[in-house]
Amino acid sequence: MSLDLVLGFTQALALTMSVAFVTYVLVIVVPYLRRKPAPIGEPSSLEWHFFVPCRDEEAVIGDTIRYLRTTFPIAHVWVIDDDSDDRTAGVVRTLKRNSGVRDPHIHLVQRQRPYARTGKGNALNDAYRTLKMWMGRRADADRAIVVVVDADGRPAPNCLEVCAAQHLFGNPRIGAVQVDVRMINAGQRQPGVSWWRRAFGAGLVRMQDLEFRTAIAAIQMSRGTTGTISMGGNGQFTRLSALDSIAGPTGSPWRGSLLEDFELGVHLLTAGWHTGFSLDTHVNQEALYSLRRFLAQRTRWGQGTMQCMRYLRRIWDSEHLTTLGAAEMMYYLAQPWMQLLGTLIYPIPMALMAYRFVVSPAEVVTWFFDGAWILFTVYGAFGLLPFVLWGPVYRARCVPVSFWRSIGYGLGYALYIYTFYITSWRALIRLVRGNNGWTKTRRNTDRAAGKVALDV
Amino acid sequence: MTLAVRRTAFPSRVTVVVLLAAAAGLVFAHRLYRTAEISLSGAILSVISSYGVDVAADRQTVYFGLGSDTPLGLRMTPECTSAFLVLPLIAVGAIMIALRPRIQSRVLVALGVAALAVVVVNQFRVLTLVGLVSWLGIDTGYYWGHTLLGSMVSVFGGAAALVAFVWLATRK
Repeated sequence: MSLDLVLGFTQALALTMSVAFVTYVLVIVVPYLRRKPAPIGEPSSLEWHFFVPCRDEEAVIGDTIRYLRTTFPIAHVWVIDDDSDDRTAGVVRTLKRNSGVRDPHIHLVQRQRPYARTGKGNALNDAYRTLKMWMGRRADADRAIVVVVDADGRPAPNCLEVCAAQHLFGNPRIGAVQVDVRMINAGQRQPGVSWWRRAFGAGLVRMQDLEFRTAIAAIQMSRGTTGTISMGGNGQFTRLSALDSIAGPTGSPWRGSLLEDFELGVHLLTAGWHTGFSLDTHVNQEALYSLRRFLAQRTRWGQGTMQCMRYLRRIWDSEHLTTLGAAEMMYYLAQPWMQLLGTLIYPIPMALMAYRFVVSPAEVVTWFFDGAWILFTVYGAFGLLPFVLWGPVYRARCVPVSFWRSIGYGLGYALYIYTFYITSWRALIRLVRGNNGWTKTRRNTDRAAGKVALDV
Repeated sequence: MTLAVRRTAFPSRVTVVVLLAAAAGLVFAHRLYRTAEISLSGAILSVISSYGVDVAADRQTVYFGLGSDTPLGLRMTPECTSAFLVLPLIAVGAIMIALRPRIQSRVLVALGVAALAVVVVNQFRVLTLVGLVSWLGIDTGYYWGHTLLGSMVSVFGGAAALVAFVWLATRK
């Protein structure tokens, strides 16, 4: 195969992938910017159950339970203790006793090794089965809503009334709703570290906030059109009857992939349920300051997405999903693979140019200044535009900062996205080696943690 | 007595194999494709140009402006051909048909329209280049036509072809 052929092929593929991405971003940003708040509903028309999976969350779980009980007095809080080594279960019991006046809305689901620490999905399945037993056979599963929240999660006070709206759980066909995710520590610097780490960490946190509140939110909104709104692990609301419909004989609506939230969405959608998304409310979570922890988290997500590729046939076979919906899900599942392809394809034209520069430097310099620099500018602009534009969008819809700062955020976001090229390769290596066990993403204050999911 | 004859669609597996063969053909027989592409450019130029046009098929080159002050030859290189822009569309189309056979005809129509759009856009790029050379002279016309305008035509044309493909292949 000649060099010209390789160059032509890789350039065309790079152009196609870039143009596809630019077009996709422009298509999703417009509805996001035009969005208007929707009417709210009556929370008391439904029954709410917060599921809070925990492992060694003694430091945060008390405040979370107090917050949930105070903010949502009608809701039940189910803490799933995954055999913690610390006093997580003790904190829950103390709050349940409530100084002698027992709080019937606080529940502890105690898991024990060897059946514990086998993954978040299994922990949630345990809570699901416990809830079913607690409710009894005559319970109205259509009215019961399960809300999955992280141990440090803070759902916004209006989230029940927003989710009870007529277009969300007021519609009996809606099986699940995902709400917007925000980073509670955006704008806060990490204490007790060097100036450099503090500045870097603050930037990383800002990028996570920008990513969730703009790009991911816009993607989710566009999925309203394709009928494929997906679930995230935090701020995920699911109707109990929808969980029942996919639980199977083992009573396990959550399955074993590392991206159990997306997987749940796939099962609901292919079972015929509709899913919703709302930006009118949100859940706060803590973003990561550490690049190492961030890369570990994103590698896990990438590996989980790769694992979910096994659902491709199920998605396309489903009569409940339109071709556009199936294509959208395939595009999402293909992302880590396209990132792998990108790391192979994108550098080839540059490598060939470098080779030509070594062989004949004067020729390449002349070629560059004779007009090729325009090509570089055009392709560079198209490469950066789909990421940089989220900076001004973040400024317009989320956090009012100066225009130039928003451009800086956008450029930072472009750099931030490049980490996915690293995490996709790490995910592939883990997948090939059969490493499916995962270390829990450590919180900013944690020092160490063990695996939460085992290799299977 | 009447016989009920069940109408059967063309087997999707055959379509997928044909599409994959076409994709492979674009890679291994790209010289033939480029020859056809430059011959098409030559045919269009012969119709619209008042000066001489000649195609050197074995070199995938079209000479235009023959007899004028600005005669020039343009070669359809592997970097300029539309073959490799059509290829990803064919691959995606084949995957879609393999996964959902009942949308076969819709995807084939979408593929035909999008591939045609890509070919037309590439012809338009060549014609733009020829027009700019005639208008601004060889140096300036080729400079702007090949670097900036050619790239913009490819980007926007590629985007239009992709949108057309997705819309036609996925509409209800």
